[in-house]
Amino acid sequence: MKCVKKFDAKPKLDGSWKFVDDYTYDNMLYGQLLYSKCHHGYIKKITFPSNYDLSEFTMVSPQDIPGENIVPEPVCDQPYMVDDEVMHYGQVIMGIAHSNRRLLRKFVNETIIEYDELPAITGIKECLENEENHFGEETTVDHTTNEEPNPNWIYNHNVYYTPHQEQAYLETQGVISVYNPKESTMFVLITAQCPFFVKTGVEAILGDTVKEVIIESPQGIGGAFGGKEDFPSLLAGISSLLSYKSGRPVKMVLERSDDIQITTKRHPARIELETWTDPETKKIERCRIDYRIDTGAYQTLSPVVLSRGVLHSIGGYYVPDTFIRGRMFRSNTPSNGAFRGFGAPQAFAAMEAHIDRIAADINVDPYEFRKTNLFRIGDEFPTTQKIVDENLSDCLERVILNSDYQKKNQEFAVWNKTHKDKKGIGIAVAYHGGGYTGNGEKILKSKIKVTIDKDAMVKIFVANTDMGQGAHTTLAQMFYEAIGHPREKCWVQIPNTSKTPNSGPTVASRTIYIIGNLLRKLAFQLKDELGFDNLEEYVKTHQGEFPRVSYKTFTPDPSVVFDADTNVGIAYKDYSWAACVNEIYFNADTCKIELKKSWNVLDVGKLVNEKIAMGQAQGGILQGLGYGLSEFFYKPGYGRMHGFTDYVLPTTLDLPEMNIEFIHTDSDLAKGLGEIPMNFPAPSLRNAFHNATGIFIDEYPLIPERLFKAMEEQK
Amino acid sequence: MKFIKPKDINNLYEIIDNIDRQYLLAGGTDINVQIKNGIIRNPNIIYINHLKELSGIEEENDSILIGSTTSFKDIIDSRIIKRHIPLIHSSLQNFASPLLQTSATIGGNIANGSPTADVIPILLALDAKLEICSKISCREVFLKDFFIGYKKNVMSNNELITKIIVAKNAEQKYQTFYKKVGSRNSLAIAKVAIAGLKKVENEKIMNIKLAVGSLNEYPRRLFKVEEYIMGKTLIEIDFNKVNEYLQQEITPISDLRSDKEYRYHVCVNLIRTFLNE
Amino acid sequence: MKITFTLNKEKVTINVDPMKRLLDVLREDFNLLGAKESCGEGECGACTVLLDGKPVTSCILNAIHAEGKEVETVEGISKTKLGKLIMDCFDETNAVQCGFCFPGFFVSSYYYVKTDGEKDLMKIKRALSGNICRCTGYEKIFDSVMLACERSN
Repeated sequence: MKCVKKFDAKPKLDGSWKFVDDYTYDNMLYGQLLYSKCHHGYIKKITFPSNYDLSEFTMVSPQDIPGENIVPEPVCDQPYMVDDEVMHYGQVIMGIAHSNRRLLRKFVNETIIEYDELPAITGIKECLENEENHFGEETTVDHTTNEEPNPNWIYNHNVYYTPHQEQAYLETQGVISVYNPKESTMFVLITAQCPFFVKTGVEAILGDTVKEVIIESPQGIGGAFGGKEDFPSLLAGISSLLSYKSGRPVKMVLERSDDIQITTKRHPARIELETWTDPETKKIERCRIDYRIDTGAYQTLSPVVLSRGVLHSIGGYYVPDTFIRGRMFRSNTPSNGAFRGFGAPQAFAAMEAHIDRIAADINVDPYEFRKTNLFRIGDEFPTTQKIVDENLSDCLERVILNSDYQKKNQEFAVWNKTHKDKKGIGIAVAYHGGGYTGNGEKILKSKIKVTIDKDAMVKIFVANTDMGQGAHTTLAQMFYEAIGHPREKCWVQIPNTSKTPNSGPTVASRTIYIIGNLLRKLAFQLKDELGFDNLEEYVKTHQGEFPRVSYKTFTPDPSVVFDADTNVGIAYKDYSWAACVNEIYFNADTCKIELKKSWNVLDVGKLVNEKIAMGQAQGGILQGLGYGLSEFFYKPGYGRMHGFTDYVLPTTLDLPEMNIEFIHTDSDLAKGLGEIPMNFPAPSLRNAFHNATGIFIDEYPLIPERLFKAMEEQK
Repeated sequence: MKFIKPKDINNLYEIIDNIDRQYLLAGGTDINVQIKNGIIRNPNIIYINHLKELSGIEEENDSILIGSTTSFKDIIDSRIIKRHIPLIHSSLQNFASPLLQTSATIGGNIANGSPTADVIPILLALDAKLEICSKISCREVFLKDFFIGYKKNVMSNNELITKIIVAKNAEQKYQTFYKKVGSRNSLAIAKVAIAGLKKVENEKIMNIKLAVGSLNEYPRRLFKVEEYIMGKTLIEIDFNKVNEYLQQEITPISDLRSDKEYRYHVCVNLIRTFLNE
Repeated sequence: MKITFTLNKEKVTINVDPMKRLLDVLREDFNLLGAKESCGEGECGACTVLLDGKPVTSCILNAIHAEGKEVETVEGISKTKLGKLIMDCFDETNAVQCGFCFPGFFVSSYYYVKTDGEKDLMKIKRALSGNICRCTGYEKIFDSVMLACERSN
């Protein structure tokens, strides 16, 4: 039961499972984005190449927009296309379509745009060091005690930087828009996490010109990791406009070099930590955090990322006197957006490094120091939410045991004395709040629909997409296991906004936690209402009652109260917890870190499907390791990487020996799993390097050039 | 873009004798990426992958002859290579990727002339020669004399590399060394590469060959460093002197992939490690 | 130019620009959609097919390279006995996530099990080192191929 097989394995292997680029429509055009190569300025002149027949092309620019030239969600400050001032490299200037895909590509490549350039902020430090770049609303968490710090306390003050990270989904962003002038509908097939976001986006750009906008997921979505949360709305808006103008279906699939340069990335962050630690008790008594994110040119998702980041920034530690300040800083770069973790990986990057730093300063082992400061039952988050279990501590204890940390730590210290290469072992702990922050779920009011046909076929209608995480397997599993029904007769339908209610976006580790649990509740409710033991039997003997449609709306626990202005209350009702230990080998000749072994312990509550859960953890942890070790996106003086040649993803030969354990799986509650694996691997790598060499690196990734520089400086 | 598929090898020589600025297409793993990225525009493409005379591995007297369109996979799988020149066999194991090894050719890697080309330092350390032919004649050029600048070589427009020639005993009695430093263990472009051969007798380094890649406009032998080291024991080698000669022979740069200081020091470290092995 | 080759055991001839990418020929001219475009530079393996029995990245190969040769795609491989065995293994381990890279891994795994088949983790990792996966962390893909090696003997 727990290891139900996914239904999509074989068709994905034999090539029959279709992704956006595998669909074709009659009379279809291909579309491409013409975007700015200038970071900031005004467009002086656009010169199309001369040896083409311009009448063969359909082109759209802001003048063609019947609705509004503003992407409506999440914060409406980003235009679909440049109106006047180009605010970032990669900003869309026009959408262009033609029937020949390769000819279109050549045409766009040969188009010359002249700009009147203005000064631009393109570097991460350039953006985040200068307070003048701060914009939008600040968010603060005030858990201060109004007491002065004791002069005996040990003061530690450091600034940590985290870089962009590219989601690197294997399937690039893509969409097909099909305008039907007779029915006055716009049908959009798109590889996206949130069909209803896309719907709102297309409706906004088209205004009243169409009666209905329908968004549907293709059979397969080739990875997303957050990167297909908000950008699809912009992409679909432009492809729909092209379809509307040309009267023909338009397929727009981004080439990797465009996708990697212009779509949303993980926010770079600058996190400044000040702590005061009592040298007697070894407890951190006071903490001040200044959390800054580089939003790119527009806010879009940034306030939400900032909010989650700030709420995770204290890490797993109880500090009685805490003040956290979160601010957005803008730059002339493409808007940054969602990526698995959503502000939390940055938070743990800083705090977990800082913990090891303080520990080194006061000469305490990093494990012991964590034990002393990890929060216990009765402690509280800076939001005043009480800690109600010690599962984080359980994760830490378990991983220390599994990895034989203490013995290895001692052994390595001895080995390192007599070898030029070094061995290191590092710890990190982390957590992730499930679902939308605070009142988010209340505002979302997620609604699901389930139909049961006369033949006892159960169809589940949700807006949540399966982008590889197995959502459609596990959601079905949660329902049919609760109601007692054969798996073959229970299927999640392909999300289509005209057929399914809005069960909210596929984000925030909420799919199983909120929607899955809602399905379970509906299953139990139906069972109670109709009073059956076996649904199939009941359907056979009560044919008159079927087909049957049931809806259910998510209502949050009323005891979960959160004030979003003051950040006081219960930010997340349930947290998933984790701890890890990573062992590295540092090659002195090449300054390269080799990943040797990785031990990870997670508490995500009940595992709906063990193999799927393990797959999620394995994939997420490797992404986390990539973040810390090799994924280098932007080099000052050279700009952004252009493709997979230089954006370094781990291959099969770059892996550590991986050990993953789930604990507390006997819980009744299935908690969020999607994002937490991103939060702990990179910090533990950084700590392992410090353990090996005595050197702290304050930036990711830990590429050899950076390590070499740090070691030289130390000499 | 013009495309020509020669009927046979003689036809090929005719064609390149008469055409300007042509690109010879073997596996296509370099050319196709450059065309896609707009680095090569409107090329004249002459297909050569089908010409049997240009591929294959043979033994001839004291030499191993590798046809220029031989794929890396065939080179790695070759018993002849494994037996006589195991350095080539072992150092190319993680070249590019198993998928690229099937298409990529040794001639293509050399002729494309990237400063980071993986096979060149290895062949330089083995004192390899190239057979270069035109319609009229063939000549042999040492690989060390083949490049004259960044992506510039001694071939005329109507010539192509037909064979790579390595002496059968090129490695005999030598200790070999190869290290490629990339950003990961597969699908990596070299930041620094070093191939070496050394012969030690009574603790004296009697003979040493050192070739480096990614540190100059084209991969090179470190002749001055070699000359300094030859005849000395480890203790006699003053690394300040090594550094002095090295600085005359390599000009590492900072680029998207790496920094010049890092490249320089990795090179020094690897030389030191090789000498100590 | 007329190009003749064997595609999934059938002889085919098409009139095509010899420089057209083999990936585009398969997807557009033969409607074989298994091989995918992901990076366009031979760096990820999502476009892997077999050429004369050996795995290649079709996004940087030209149509002319297929002339006179045998091309096999996942559509053909999945019908073979060994292909079915391998698919069963991937199915059992629940390795698949988004699936976009899977046709590529299928071809590389098929090649390994067919020509070597030793149940050796290091060898398997090396055989798959031209294929990138972003979702799975690779572990379950290794499990699947190890299982396939076991069962194919």
